[in-house]
Amino acid sequence: MRMRTKAMMLAAAASVSVVAFAAPASASEETVGSCLAETILEFETDSGITLHELEEAAAEGDEEAKKELETLEEEFEACNESPNPILPATNEIIWGGLSFLILLGMMWKFAFPAVKNGMEARTERIRSDLAAADQAKVDAQAVQTQYEAQLADAKTEAARIVDEARQSADQVRTDLIARAEAEAAELRERANGEIEAMRVQAIADVQSEVSEIAIGAAERVVGGSLDRDAQSQLVEAYIQELTSK
Amino acid sequence: MDLLALEFPPVSHLFEWPDIFLDGTVFGINKTVLIYFGAVAATLGLFFGAGRRYKQSLVPAGMSNVAESGVDFIEDSVIMQTMGPDGLKYLPFLTTMFFFLFFSNITEVIPGIQFPANSRMAIPLLLALLVWVIYNVVGVRSQGFFGYLKNSLFPPGVPVALYIIVTPIELVSTFVVRPFSLAIRLWANMVAGHLLLVTFAVLTATLWESTYVGAALPFAMLVLMTGFEILVSALQAFIFTILTAVYIGGSMHPEH
Repeated sequence: MRMRTKAMMLAAAASVSVVAFAAPASASEETVGSCLAETILEFETDSGITLHELEEAAAEGDEEAKKELETLEEEFEACNESPNPILPATNEIIWGGLSFLILLGMMWKFAFPAVKNGMEARTERIRSDLAAADQAKVDAQAVQTQYEAQLADAKTEAARIVDEARQSADQVRTDLIARAEAEAAELRERANGEIEAMRVQAIADVQSEVSEIAIGAAERVVGGSLDRDAQSQLVEAYIQELTSK
Repeated sequence: MDLLALEFPPVSHLFEWPDIFLDGTVFGINKTVLIYFGAVAATLGLFFGAGRRYKQSLVPAGMSNVAESGVDFIEDSVIMQTMGPDGLKYLPFLTTMFFFLFFSNITEVIPGIQFPANSRMAIPLLLALLVWVIYNVVGVRSQGFFGYLKNSLFPPGVPVALYIIVTPIELVSTFVVRPFSLAIRLWANMVAGHLLLVTFAVLTATLWESTYVGAALPFAMLVLMTGFEILVSALQAFIFTILTAVYIGGSMHPEH
């Protein structure tokens, strides 16, 4: 239910109750009218005559009736009279004073400190909670700084490790290349040696073969007159001549 | 009292209540006394209820909110404004006084009770005399007897020639009139409020019996006045309390 509806319902209920309970506003059932009526009724019951008859008798000059009427009018006046409302009543002073003193005592000793202590406890609690929160914040900041420092260290360390790895990789590569080059040179040298030996061998083989062939050919030409040694020398000389050319 | 054919109860019948218990003795208990008891019970109930609430939780709610607002109000708007931090020792006294006066005023508009206990002179007069004793004792204690008299009767900063006029006025106002003005202000306001409410209630009832429609206007006024009297109840309790603080503060610090 909305606040305004609630407030209006409350106001309506209050308004109705103001009228419904209005009767006790008058301290007693007695009013000036009822007081007058009771006085007249009492007079009529006691004397046996009506007020009207008394007034008539007084108007006719009856002294007793006049006196009676005066007394009655004084009683009517009394109905309108009120005691001074500014004067305090003794019973109200006694009970009011006692009530206030007892209330003051109870409040001073028990009730007020209960509330005040509660309020102070809350203030203290909030203060300590705030202090704790501040401390927690400071701690968290310290931890953060520490973590950040550690992170920076870790980064430096990682960079160093990567650098080292790169350097050793470079080293390994250089070594490998150098070794490969050395091995290749060695292999080439060996191959060259072998080739040279084979060439020398081949030349020797060819020389001997050619000399054989030449001798054979010469033998056929000259009819085999030349001995073996002479032939060889001849061929050798020929080959020498050829190579020197 | 017949006014315009209205049956208006005599004034004394609106304020003087017959004894319910111990009838005829000086300890007679009537409606006014029962309202005093009710105000004591309401104040204690409020504060003990609030105190109990703190045992469960320090977060204020319900009754503890009301009690706290009251205490804060007296502390900030009454004591700190009039007496300064020195006056904080009077906080329990002034808080008690405020709530007791408020609860015995507010019964003026509570259906079924509809009578302000402070429209009887007993409590306004007693409390005013108590305040008179307190501020005089505080004055003598903090300034010495002659110092207090001197500062009260010869306020500093006034041209000497004017003391001829000022001193008798101060004498009467500080030592004689103050308690009575304090008491009568509260009492008269509550009397007037009660009379207003009764007047409009009687008018409404009478016009309802004769015309029905004619009752609308006085009824509207009755509702309006009921709201107004709630304000007056709180305001008079506040005025009584703050004047008490002003008087005690004046005795503590004559320079102000």
